[in-house]
Amino acid sequence: MSENVLHIDHLTMRFGGVVAVNDLSMDINKGEIVALIGPNGAGKTTAFNMVTGVYTPTEGKVILDGQDVTGKRPDEITKLGVARTFQNIRLFSSMTVFDNVLTARHLRRTSNFLTATFRLNAAEERKMRAETEALLKEVDLYDLKDEMATSLPYGKQRLLEIARALSTQPKLLLLDEPAAGMNPQETEELGVFIRQIKDKFNLTVFLIEHHMNLVMGISDRIYVIDFGKQIAQGTPAEVQDNPAVIAAYLGVDEEEGVQ
Amino acid sequence: MSNSISSRKKIDSATIISAVIVACIYVAVFVAEQFVPATSMLFTVLKKGATYALVAVSMNLCNGFTGIFSLGQAGFMLIGAYVYGIFTIPQAARMDVYQYYNGGLVQFTLPWFVAMILGGLAAAFFAFLIGMPVLRLKSDYLAIATLGFAEIIRALFQWDKLGPVTNGSNMLRLFPAFNDFNIKGANGQVTVYLSTLVPLLIAGVCIGIIILLINSTFGRALKAIRDDEIAAEAMGIRLASHKRLAFCISSFFAGVGGAMLAMYQTTVQAKSFTTAMTYEILLIVVIGGIGSVTGSCISSFLFVAASEWWLRFLDQKQVIGGFEVPLLRNGFRLVVFSIIIMIVVLFFRQGIMGTRELPDLIRGWQRKGKGKEAHGK
Repeated sequence: MSENVLHIDHLTMRFGGVVAVNDLSMDINKGEIVALIGPNGAGKTTAFNMVTGVYTPTEGKVILDGQDVTGKRPDEITKLGVARTFQNIRLFSSMTVFDNVLTARHLRRTSNFLTATFRLNAAEERKMRAETEALLKEVDLYDLKDEMATSLPYGKQRLLEIARALSTQPKLLLLDEPAAGMNPQETEELGVFIRQIKDKFNLTVFLIEHHMNLVMGISDRIYVIDFGKQIAQGTPAEVQDNPAVIAAYLGVDEEEGVQ
Repeated sequence: MSNSISSRKKIDSATIISAVIVACIYVAVFVAEQFVPATSMLFTVLKKGATYALVAVSMNLCNGFTGIFSLGQAGFMLIGAYVYGIFTIPQAARMDVYQYYNGGLVQFTLPWFVAMILGGLAAAFFAFLIGMPVLRLKSDYLAIATLGFAEIIRALFQWDKLGPVTNGSNMLRLFPAFNDFNIKGANGQVTVYLSTLVPLLIAGVCIGIIILLINSTFGRALKAIRDDEIAAEAMGIRLASHKRLAFCISSFFAGVGGAMLAMYQTTVQAKSFTTAMTYEILLIVVIGGIGSVTGSCISSFLFVAASEWWLRFLDQKQVIGGFEVPLLRNGFRLVVFSIIIMIVVLFFRQGIMGTRELPDLIRGWQRKGKGKEAHGK
């Protein structure tokens, strides 16, 4: 049995009368790539937001590395080793590529505002910069490091978001639709890239994605939800043949139903 | 390792040129002060300009770099000014100043710079208290709450019950002012004029510290919060503590600026720290460029020069060659001034500097120069 990194225990999220996520349970083990898929509005991003602390679940628990993190703030959870990207890119728009990645190192600082202001943290700052450079080289963004983040082409912005997330030194990387808006070739490259960084940075990856080629290509296991409820799980091959999944994606006639 | 060298933040020629320019300004002020009559409007503008520059930069730290839209600046200046005044009035003068309160409660005197720092700390402490409830609010709600705070502080310091400390609604005076920085000879004649240079130095040091903060890892975190709170939080930046930090530091320097204003005015009275003062500072920040320290500095000197000096003639009857210029009368200056501000806000929405700083400008010129050279060949 490999080590459990993230355990989601019967999570439910209600917004007023709407149940966005209903009794969702998941397990993600160290070194896996696990995908969460489902039709639009199925509650995937809500599940992400509960794991990262943006929402506090109405019911249920989020266990990270054996530690209950339910109700913790997003920054605390990031400090514990969970980094994420966003469905609609959220880069720091006034900053260069380099500073975007560098800023994500802030949480690993040992300086306080006084030592930082009076440059008593010079050694740490140098180390942060060197690590940022190394990371940018690793993800092939080094040549663009002095460009403004928002002036990059779309695909590069997605890449930068992943680099920024990696800069927080996570154990678990959450990718919210990383291939959204990418063309087939870019998507294929992204799949290779995700596998690469997973091995290089010793990560566990949890992703939400719509591009089925990508999901089926890189995932070890897949969870499928619809209307906030889990309808299937298993390996890509198992999920692909599951009638409930086909029904959820393609729709079924009311009378025929899924028997 | 080549890595460790290139990963160092480069101090390029543009930064050095900027430092030299600033140093030259200081030298020029020092020289001018020795030779130009002390009553010249130039020095009034420089003294008040330095004070406003510090307060504007402190406001920019909060509003421009962190995205906290606070309008409490006048309140924090008031606290700084009062703390400075209360603790620096010479013992002999206390009976005179606190004439209705039997000499007041405070019966000791601190050196001016200790009182000035204490004024900043007091302002920062109030910012810490007010920040706890207020910093949860967003944009316009936060602006209204801080504005209200400044009004409450103004009323509080005029409260008769606090008179033994604050002198109630009476003014504080007779504390050391800018003119006391002049070095006098044995016969009471001024030998070295420093009354303009010292305020400029105080403001310069404070602004320098703010620049260091902005360029540190904390400054990057603050800019991240301004750019995208949700992303900043997801990158592990704790919003509450960083916003509080920016708010308190901004208020600290507003307090120091208040102490400088007290020294400039030679008297302090709570009722002069109005909302209008905050708006003046806000205008300076907007005209200079939200998110530019250089812009705030330049525009505060321009603002003060225009309102105290260059546009003064508009307030008096002017006769040119037997023709009396119409409209000019007391108060007309403010009309013209408002029009200028409207033009700036309408047509120069980024302000004078946008988000650029002095070294950025120099880098731009350098690049242009190089481009021309290449073209010439």
